[in-house]
Amino acid sequence: MIDTRTAKVVVAGFGSEYRHDDGVGTLVAERAVAQVSTSHFVGSLSDPLDLLGEWNGADLVIVVDAIHSGAPVGTLQTIEIDVENLSCTALDAESGAGESSTHGLGLVAVLRLARAINQAPRRLVIIGIEGERFDLGEGLSASVEAAVPEAVARVVEFIKEAQSCA
Amino acid sequence: MTHGARSSRTISAEGISRVEGEGSLRVRVQDGRVVDVALDIFEPPRYFEALLVGRHFTEAPDITARICGICPVAYQMSACLAMEDACGVVVDERIEALRRLLYCGEWIQSHALHIYLLHAPDFLGCADAVELADLDPIGVTRGLDIKRTGNLVMQTVGGRAVHPVNVRVGGFYRSPELDSIRALAEPLRRARDAALETVEWVAGFEFPDVTSEYRFVALDQSDRYAIDGGRPSLDGHTLSAAQFAEIAVEEHVERSTALHAKLDGRDRYLTGPLARFALNASRLPEVARDAAAAAGLYAPCVNPFRSIVVRAVELVFACDEALRLVERYEPPVQPAIEVVARAATGTATTEAPRGLLLHQYDIDDDGIIRRARIMPPTSQNQLSIEDDLRRVVENGLSLDDEELQWRCEQAVRNHDPCISCAAHFLDLTVETS
Repeated sequence: MIDTRTAKVVVAGFGSEYRHDDGVGTLVAERAVAQVSTSHFVGSLSDPLDLLGEWNGADLVIVVDAIHSGAPVGTLQTIEIDVENLSCTALDAESGAGESSTHGLGLVAVLRLARAINQAPRRLVIIGIEGERFDLGEGLSASVEAAVPEAVARVVEFIKEAQSCA
Repeated sequence: MTHGARSSRTISAEGISRVEGEGSLRVRVQDGRVVDVALDIFEPPRYFEALLVGRHFTEAPDITARICGICPVAYQMSACLAMEDACGVVVDERIEALRRLLYCGEWIQSHALHIYLLHAPDFLGCADAVELADLDPIGVTRGLDIKRTGNLVMQTVGGRAVHPVNVRVGGFYRSPELDSIRALAEPLRRARDAALETVEWVAGFEFPDVTSEYRFVALDQSDRYAIDGGRPSLDGHTLSAAQFAEIAVEEHVERSTALHAKLDGRDRYLTGPLARFALNASRLPEVARDAAAAAGLYAPCVNPFRSIVVRAVELVFACDEALRLVERYEPPVQPAIEVVARAATGTATTEAPRGLLLHQYDIDDDGIIRRARIMPPTSQNQLSIEDDLRRVVENGLSLDDEELQWRCEQAVRNHDPCISCAAHFLDLTVETS
């Protein structure tokens, strides 16, 4: 029997628009969902725990967030977390993604928790945009602003791919 | 991290997790006595007050809520009420009821999160919520179901589960449909039942035998358990929000980037669940009072470790109150009343889940913000948390380093501090000589 339902895709934007480049995650997530109305926006998030409940039953969750890795500003990074075989990846060592973060539990820990109670999504992808400034204030850095269209396109591509496969 | 010898012991923990923010804790012990406790906070000070200056008064609820992602409704409500105070307007009863419903949603969400995922692991010997979920998946699922009901209330009233977008000075952008509000009744009934189970669950935990002396401050409202209205109450009398703003003096402490509040520049005090329960327990609905009594909880509760039971009782209250508001809901005639700016100072206090939140603004005739003051619960509670730690360490000197560190972290979490609001992680050092 052919599955005709549309895949549930949740796009979560992390970060605050009042901390300059930290706001890019939410901006990109909102713009991508605006282009594909069958997907669901969640945000702006500051705590991965807020994903619990929001991503139940999702075929794909795309987390969009500013990152600070030392790469050139505006660089996009795509990381797919292996939901079925979670292991200690490089992410675990990163504040905000690992076990201990400023907000109690990091993204990977929240995913582990969700798995323990059968509430984990089937796929989890992180789209990161390298930021430059995260101090208080509004507006993106020029290089980050320039990366937004490509980041939106990448999120949209993931959504469409998931929904065409469902 | 621990290191030391019998004559000179140092315990340090870099990053106390399950606390919203970043900071460190240092305790110094000499001759069996705690001589210094310092809860240090790193992170630039709250520059966002400066960010508000020059903005239009209608922008304050969203800007402050977006900066503090943990309890956005509290920020929105205190900002709205402060601006309405400045402009001399009071919203009608239907708008007020809708605001209270939204605020109940945040209490449900926040208390369920703190009880199940941040605080309960301490009592059950689990490193974190992930371990607890492995140990008790049914319990954690119950907590998340309650949290999700809070999210549903926030989404229905506020437009979004995480960052409500429907709130404005004077009321709301749109009134929720009657059917959408009434549809909340069944999930809220289930959440109230689950909250009652939560009270039973946490009442069975083992609590360290520690008592503290607190000067409690909570909002007082004659006909209800105050959340979004009423006057600050302390020492048996009430004050206006503006009077409270005058006596609650914040000072900058060199070791910290947060401000510490003291009454009359001198005395520590405590806001939050323990304070609310101590001063307002008689105003809880019967279902919450009965749950407290069945759990052996009577006001005042001065064992900070039992704050998890108080929080659970408040969870019952928030679900019950939300249900009452849902059943009586009538859409406001207009979603918002008109608010015309005038040059004035406005002050408001509301009960964020973790304690009193004060906003005060000076605005001009054009509605431009000229001064902003935000006093979050954590800066008000910080000195009381330090005093708790002093007692916990003195009572626990026989414990080994690891156990003492664990108990200190737990003592900080008793008050659900949101250090990211007050300024941002904890690292703990206990020095013994």
